[in-house]
Amino acid sequence: MKKQLQALWLTVILVLLYVPILSVILASLANTRYMRFPHRNWSIGAYTDAFSQQETLVLHLVSLKVAALVTLLALVLATLGAMAFARYDWRGRSIYQKAVVLPIFFPQPVLGLALLLFFSALGITPSWKTAVFAHLVWILPIVTLVISIRLFGYDPAQEDAARDLGATRLQTLREVTLPHLAPGLISGGLFAFLLSWSNLPLSIFTTGADTTLPEWLFSRVATNYAPVVSAIAVIGTLASVLFGLVVLAALWMQRRAARQSSSASASISTA
Amino acid sequence: MIAAEPQMTGTPADTTPALSLQRLSRHFGATRALRDVSLDIAEGEFFTIVGPSGSGKTTLLRILAGLDRPTSGALLLRGQDVTLQPPNKRPTAMVFQSLALFDHRSVGQNVEFALKMRGVGAEARKTRALELLELVRLGADYYGRPVTQCSGGERQRVALARALASDPEILFFDEPLSALDYRLRKTLEVELRGLQRRTGRTFVYITHSLEEAMVMSDRIGIMKDGALVQVGTPSQIYDRPRDRFVARFMGEVNILEIRDGRLVELDTPLPGRADGYLVLRPEALSPTESGLPIRCTVLERFQLGSRVQLHLDTPAGLMIAEQPASCTLQAGDEATFSFDPDAAHRVSE
Repeated sequence: MKKQLQALWLTVILVLLYVPILSVILASLANTRYMRFPHRNWSIGAYTDAFSQQETLVLHLVSLKVAALVTLLALVLATLGAMAFARYDWRGRSIYQKAVVLPIFFPQPVLGLALLLFFSALGITPSWKTAVFAHLVWILPIVTLVISIRLFGYDPAQEDAARDLGATRLQTLREVTLPHLAPGLISGGLFAFLLSWSNLPLSIFTTGADTTLPEWLFSRVATNYAPVVSAIAVIGTLASVLFGLVVLAALWMQRRAARQSSSASASISTA
Repeated sequence: MIAAEPQMTGTPADTTPALSLQRLSRHFGATRALRDVSLDIAEGEFFTIVGPSGSGKTTLLRILAGLDRPTSGALLLRGQDVTLQPPNKRPTAMVFQSLALFDHRSVGQNVEFALKMRGVGAEARKTRALELLELVRLGADYYGRPVTQCSGGERQRVALARALASDPEILFFDEPLSALDYRLRKTLEVELRGLQRRTGRTFVYITHSLEEAMVMSDRIGIMKDGALVQVGTPSQIYDRPRDRFVARFMGEVNILEIRDGRLVELDTPLPGRADGYLVLRPEALSPTESGLPIRCTVLERFQLGSRVQLHLDTPAGLMIAEQPASCTLQAGDEATFSFDPDAAHRVSE
């Protein structure tokens, strides 16, 4: 009985999570501007439309380029920042640590507006590049937190030991520091990418003439809905799911390779 | 492989010290962690630096290993100035207090690390790693094991094997045994000493435990507030401590002040000794009347294996005596203990 209740509970949760996504897929298969179910005519016309439009590609490319750049910059800056917090004791460290996290508590539309005012005060024309900066303001603290958790959990004497055993600084980074940080870098990078990829409130204010995927979806849903909107949303979702799967597959293959090499060496030693 | 011949220390043919510390100082802001430390450590010597925590031992060892640079002073390794040489260029290796094993790697990968950094091929590395695991009494089946699955004593041995891998001329030890239980520590102390004899390498060891230092070392240096206060063989330091700090550090001891030819606390004349302090080891006090007598009451009696330790309430305050277990005095007994003031060691400060 308890087991059945548990299964029921899980099913309810899964249904609640996935029905909205499923309904977008269903909506994309209609050929009418009005969301009504069941469809009178099923159609994949929205998808052929979406694929034939140059705009679909452009939207994805803008979002991808913003998210990729945000991920890269966030990883580099967050690693350096986390090092500064975890490794060194300096005056004002704890205040700085709190100040860095503060942007997370700002409502994003307010932060977006503030950044827009800031850019125009500096005379910078907003474009996807300013959006990268805006995303970083909000995403960097999160990635810094994720990576510093990893850094706090390990003994920096390992780096001294590596140096003492003959490793150069670069070798120490490659052989000791990075392998330790890797899980933090991967989860931090995933966070950065997905938070940027799906961000709407910051992008609205700071992309200027460029349009990211969420911005376009939002404006078309609000003012000019057609099934092609749902179709592009589905394509965008599949693209990020694919991205996630690629990362997971890479991790799985790496882990398998590591296990094979260690079990191979173990079998040599017992032979 | 490490040379298996024992090397004699202090032979005249071999006069260049393995390490020569010349007025090393290290300041951290206003804190002076090291003050003008000068010392020669001979080739093949087991030298131990002892001191309470915060006395600058670890700072000194980090400078010797190249992990830190002195604010002033120089460090010569076999006559060559290495003060500014980075750690990876020095023919030395260190066993860290936390051991600092690479915990994402296997035992074998840890041991091989120094060889890998030197570009030694995988086959040769493995052969050497198995030899080293044998040397530190871990079997070949430890080779593929993750270090996270090793016990405290095993991790200790892995750290030692890892440090030995590049065949360093000098090995540094930063209190590596402090986290282990008493019996394991004793075993490893003896093994370390044996390893040092077999390999003939120079070992520089830090500890806050004088007992550990006495068991293993050829010479001991005592540190206090960033300075070396006394250097000598274990017996020199035990029998002739330079001052009250060293005497107290060497174990339980009674100290009596001499001023103007009198023992101040006992209010007894003591002609012929200069002003200063008498250092009385617990074993120098005996319940006879053959020397300078002290009337006292026994406060406590502690059994220490074959001996007993007595805490005595005397006119000079609490004093500690050690007697064979046959001693019949019990807590509460009145007694007269005495000591030979001429045999007692005097320090001036």
